[in-house]
Amino acid sequence: MFESLNHSLGTIYFGAFAIIAVACAIGLLVVRHPLSGAINLVGVMLALSGIYALLDSPFLAVLQILVYAGAIMMLVVFVIMVLNQAKDHRVPGLDWFSVITLAVPVVIGFMLVSTVRMNLPASPDAQRATVEVLAPRLFDVTAAGPGYYLLFELIGILLLVAVVAAVLLAKRSLDTSASEPDSADSAREAQEVQKESHGAH
Amino acid sequence: MAPIESYHVQALAAVLFTVGIAVVVTRRNIFLLLMGVELMLNAVNLSFIGFARTLPGDASLTGNLVPLFTIAIAAAEACVGLAMVICITRRKDTVDADAFSEMKE
Repeated sequence: MFESLNHSLGTIYFGAFAIIAVACAIGLLVVRHPLSGAINLVGVMLALSGIYALLDSPFLAVLQILVYAGAIMMLVVFVIMVLNQAKDHRVPGLDWFSVITLAVPVVIGFMLVSTVRMNLPASPDAQRATVEVLAPRLFDVTAAGPGYYLLFELIGILLLVAVVAAVLLAKRSLDTSASEPDSADSAREAQEVQKESHGAH
Repeated sequence: MAPIESYHVQALAAVLFTVGIAVVVTRRNIFLLLMGVELMLNAVNLSFIGFARTLPGDASLTGNLVPLFTIAIAAAEACVGLAMVICITRRKDTVDADAFSEMKE
């Protein structure tokens, strides 16, 4: 906890962030356009980042904003805009069948909330997870250490494989390079260029 | 004694996870399905960080390191997932998840 914050103020901040997170999550459930959903999800992530900071994890709070709200949501918004026919009005929103299927998450939610009702006391010597204490633990390469550095290397390979897979999946066909689009595209582009030049004159 | 009790954090994580499931189950837009999965991953991260404070010493750091890996895997998942969305949207020209049911027939 921030030393400067007294206890009741921390609880008030937590409550405010929790309300924002739940409101934005429910917004994600009911929006019509996926772009509004993306904005709602960014709201959830920013609120969660505030909660991480309150829960003694300043490094993860920054990472949440950098990676989730920054990189991942930017990618989602970018793809939604590239596929600009992705309008929710061509897809039915919440209909009666969807409302009936809501019973499943409601049951799961009740089960989860009843499970977590037990209260674990905060540990007196739990460390504030700053970079100074997290980094030596993560890159502890001794044989007696926890070995997280192996996971770290594996994550690097996984991200590389994911990028290669994404490029292969999103390309139109494997034998055209990215710089020269295939014939149908280039014909369409030529038409558009013609139209534009006509408009200019 | 910390002012924020652990079950408050866990209850918030449970609520967010439930809303994430609800988004995945009820919505039909592929983008909203992906965002529901992201919301569930976020809820699990919150649960980890909430429990990290109840563990002593080095174990509390483990609770903070696991979300680090979860975030990286979520980035990989979003990358491949969005490429798949581009791929199948190009094939059918729709983002309605109900349109992709060839495996059923």
